[in-house]
Amino acid sequence: MAGNPNAGKTTLFNSMTGSRQHVGNYPGVTVEKKEGSCNHGDWRVNVVDLPGTYSLTAYSIEEVVARDYIINERPDVVVDVVDASNLERNLYLGVQLIELGVPVIFAFNMSDVAESRGIKFDLQALSSLLGAPIVPTIGHKGKGVKELLAEAVALAEGSTVLRRPEITYGAPVEQAICAIRRELEQQAAFSEETTARWTAVKLLENDQEVMKLYRQPEVVEVVAAEQARIEKVLGDTAEMIIADRRYGFISGACQETVRATTESRHTRSDRIDEIVIHRFWGIPIFLGLMYLVFWLTFTVGNPPMEWIETFFGWLGGVISSWWPDGSESIMRSLLVDGIIAGVGGVVVFLPNILLLFLAIAMLEDSGYMARAAFMMDRLMHKIGLHGKSFIPMLTGFGCTIPGIMVTRTLENRRDRLTTMMVLPLISCGARLPIYTLLIPAFFPSAWRAPMLWIIYLIGIVLAIACAKLLRATIFKGESVPFVMELPPYRLPTLKGVLIHMWERGSLYLKKAGTIILGISIVLWALTSFPKLEVTDSSLSEEEQQSMELSHTVAGRIGHAMEPAIKPLGFDWRIGTAMIGAFAAKEVFVAQLGIVFSVGEADEESVPLREKLRSNYSPLAGLCIMLFMLITAPCVATVAITRRESNSWGWAMFQLAGLTVMAYVITLIVYQVGSLLGLGI
Amino acid sequence: MTTTTTTFSSSIEDYLETIFVLVRDRTVARSKEIAERLGVTPASVTGMLQTLRERGLVYYEPYGSVTLTDEGTKVARQVNRRHEVLRGFLIDVLSVNIAEAEVAACNMEHGISKHVIDRFIAFAEFIKTCPRGGAELIGAFARNHIPAETAPEECVTCMARCLDEFKAAHTATENKGEEPVAMTIQLSSLKPGERGEIVKLEGSGAVKRRIRDMGVTSGSVIEVIRVAPFGDPIDIKVKNYHLSLRKVEATDIIVRRVDNE
Repeated sequence: MAGNPNAGKTTLFNSMTGSRQHVGNYPGVTVEKKEGSCNHGDWRVNVVDLPGTYSLTAYSIEEVVARDYIINERPDVVVDVVDASNLERNLYLGVQLIELGVPVIFAFNMSDVAESRGIKFDLQALSSLLGAPIVPTIGHKGKGVKELLAEAVALAEGSTVLRRPEITYGAPVEQAICAIRRELEQQAAFSEETTARWTAVKLLENDQEVMKLYRQPEVVEVVAAEQARIEKVLGDTAEMIIADRRYGFISGACQETVRATTESRHTRSDRIDEIVIHRFWGIPIFLGLMYLVFWLTFTVGNPPMEWIETFFGWLGGVISSWWPDGSESIMRSLLVDGIIAGVGGVVVFLPNILLLFLAIAMLEDSGYMARAAFMMDRLMHKIGLHGKSFIPMLTGFGCTIPGIMVTRTLENRRDRLTTMMVLPLISCGARLPIYTLLIPAFFPSAWRAPMLWIIYLIGIVLAIACAKLLRATIFKGESVPFVMELPPYRLPTLKGVLIHMWERGSLYLKKAGTIILGISIVLWALTSFPKLEVTDSSLSEEEQQSMELSHTVAGRIGHAMEPAIKPLGFDWRIGTAMIGAFAAKEVFVAQLGIVFSVGEADEESVPLREKLRSNYSPLAGLCIMLFMLITAPCVATVAITRRESNSWGWAMFQLAGLTVMAYVITLIVYQVGSLLGLGI
Repeated sequence: MTTTTTTFSSSIEDYLETIFVLVRDRTVARSKEIAERLGVTPASVTGMLQTLRERGLVYYEPYGSVTLTDEGTKVARQVNRRHEVLRGFLIDVLSVNIAEAEVAACNMEHGISKHVIDRFIAFAEFIKTCPRGGAELIGAFARNHIPAETAPEECVTCMARCLDEFKAAHTATENKGEEPVAMTIQLSSLKPGERGEIVKLEGSGAVKRRIRDMGVTSGSVIEVIRVAPFGDPIDIKVKNYHLSLRKVEATDIIVRRVDNE
C-alpha cells in the first residue's frame, strides 16, 4: 500500500488487517515498516504499509524506502491509496507508480467526503484513462475493503489485464528520452520495456539514486547534453518540464472525469482553521490544548503510577516476608531490590506513555499537529529546528522518555537527532524532587521561587544553545524546508488511536524496557556489593546503612571520584548518590538520605536538609543542582535514545557530551563563585 | 547618501552571486566551478570560501560542495536582482548589445543602492508603458535618432500618430476586455486573500523539488490564506488543499497577480 501522507492509508490498512499487524524497521534506516495479513477467498494476502510519500523521487528517506521496496521486492499488486477529495495532487504519486510499470490499483479513499463536497467522479472513464482499476473506499468504516481485495487478487492471479497509458512529455523531452535509451540499451540489458524508459526519465530528472547506478561516462554525457538542449528549447530544467507534464496529464484526466457540482470555497475545515490558527486566538488555544495534554498525561496518569509503585512495593514486601528467616541471601536482594524494583521502574512510566500517545495520536490524526507546527515554526526555525520539534521539547518538561519517542513525528533525521540530543536539558518531572530538596536547604525563602525559575531557565537556554551548536557542527546543512500539508480536520477513529497507543506502549516495554532492566540490575549490584558485616552494635541502623553503602562498589567509586569532583565542590557522598541517580534522577534524594544516615528520606526531609546545610555551601548546593540538571540523563533516556536513533553511538554521544558539559559548566561556576567569594 | 542595503565588498558579492547561480542550475557549487566562472585561482577560491563561511554566508567543507545559508541566499538574491535589473535596463532601454550589457551590469551592480535600483525599475517600467514613450521611443533612440535635427512638423505628426495609436489600442483592449499583462512578483509579497497564477519556480535542489511535488506547478492558481501568528510561515491554498511554507521558500515562487472574481 502506497499513498500520500494523510490520505487515510493507515486507517485503511488497519481495517484491512485488524490486529494482525507487525511493526518493524526497514534495514538500516529508522523508517517504520508495518506489515499485516488478511484472508480473501483461498488466498492469504500479505499487506505492507509503505511510508506515506508525495512522490517517488529520492527526496526523503521515506521516498527512497517506498521506491526501493516496490522496485526490489516486486509486490504482486501496489494499492495506491488516494484521497478522493484532493485528487490532483494525490494522483501525482499514482502517475509515477504507473510509469514504474508495476501493477497498480487505486483505492479512492474518503469518497464520502468528496461526495459531500459535491464532487462527482466518472470512475469508469478515469479508470480507463489511468489504465488501472479504481475502487471507492471509506477507510474508517471499512467500506470497499472486500472489493479492493477482490480486485487485488484478480490482478495478482492475472485475470485482470492492465492497459498501461503512455504518459508523454512533449517532443523535445521525448527525443531526449529516445537518445538516452539508445545509449542505455548499449550499456546494460533491460528486461522490461518500461524499465529502460523509466530509467531514462529518471536520469533526465537528475534522480540521485538512479544516477548512482548508471555512471558510464557515455550515459552521463548524453544525459547532460539532452538536459542542456531541453533547457535551451523550453526555457526550464528537464526536471520541471517533466513534472509539469505529469500534472498536465492528471489535470487532463480529471477535467474529463471529475465534476464539481457545487462550488464550495469554504469547507468545514477552513472554518475551524479560522478560529484555531487565528492570529490572536491561535496561540492561547494551542497553549490550552498543550495544558490539557499534560494534565491528561501527568495528572490523570499519576494515580496509576502510584498504584504501580505500590503494587511493586507490596510485591517486594510479600516476597521478602516469604523468604525463610536466617537465609537472607543475595538471591532475595537480587529478586526484590534488583529485578522487582527494576521491572517496576520500567512499568511505572507506562501510564504516562500510553496517555501521552493517546493525546498525541488524537492531535495527529485530527490534523491539529500540523497546525501546531505551523504556529511554532517561527520560534523553532530560529534555533535551526522545525516547527514540529516544539511538541517533543514541551513533553520533555514532563518526562524526557516520551519526549524522545514523540520525535518520530519529525521527518528529517538531522532535526530529529538534534532534538533528541538536547531534550535531556529540559528539566523533567523527576528532577523536581532534587530541586525541592536542595533549594530550601540552601536559600532563604525569598530566593526559592526565583532559584527554581533560574534552574529551569538555564536548562532551556542550554538546550537552545546546544541545538544551535549541533546544527552548526555535526548536523550541519541547510535547514529543512517547511513545505508541509495542512490536512483537513478529521475525527480520529478509536481503532486508529488505540492501535497507535498500543504500538508505542509495547515498543517501549519490549525494546527500551529490557535495556532499562539490565542497567537497573547492574546499578543494584553496584550499590549492594561487596557486603559489609557491621558488628558494632552501638551504631544506629541508619549509620550502619551509610557505612554499608560506603563499602559498596558505588561507594568506592564515589570515594575514588572525589579528587575529580572536588573542584566542583562535591565530595564522595554526592558522587555515590549521583551513581544511584543514573537509575532514575529522583533516586538521588533517597541515596543522599542513606549516605547522610538520616534513613528514609524524601524531598521534604528536614533532617536531610540540615545535614546538607552543615556540609555544603550554598554555592556547592547550586552546583549540585546545576550538575544534576545537565549531567548524564537517566538509564531510561539512554535506552530510549539508543532505540529511537537506532544506534548506541548517539546514545553514548548524548551521555558523554552532557556529562562533560555538566562538568565544565559546574567547574566554572564553582571556581569563579569561590574566587568572587559568592555564597561560600 | 548611504542607503546601500549591504555592507559586503564587491568580491564577496561576486562570489555569492556565482554560487547562487551554480546552486540554482546544478544543486551544488564546487570550488573548481567557482574558480572557472570568476576566472581566479582555486587557491583564492578556497580562501574566500573560508571567509564566507566565517561570516555565516555559506555552508562549505574543504573539497566538498558549497551551498548558501539563508543569509547568503538573501544577499546573493539582492545582487542577482540588481544584476538582472541593470542588464535589462541596458538591453531594453539603452539598446546595448547583450554581451556588453552583461559585462557592464557586472561592474555596475556592486556600488548601487536599493533606492537607485528601484528607480531604475520604475523608470524602465514607465518608459515601456507610458503612451508618450513605449517601444517606438526606445526604438527611435536605438536608431540614434536625434530630435534636434528633425523638423518641428515631423515631431507634431509623430506625436499625433502616437495619440491616435494609443486611443485605438486603448479602445481595442476595452472592447476585448483584455487585461494588460501584469508584472510578475514573488509569492511572498501577496497578502492574505490575494491570489496569483504561478509563472515559474526558482530556487534550487530539494526545496524546489519538494514544492513542485506538492503540486505547485506553473499555471496553477495559489491563494494566500493566512500568515501564522508569529508572522511566518504562510498558509496557502493550491490545487484545492492547504499547504504551508516559510516566506523564504515563498520567494522562490514567482506568480502573476490574479484578481479575485
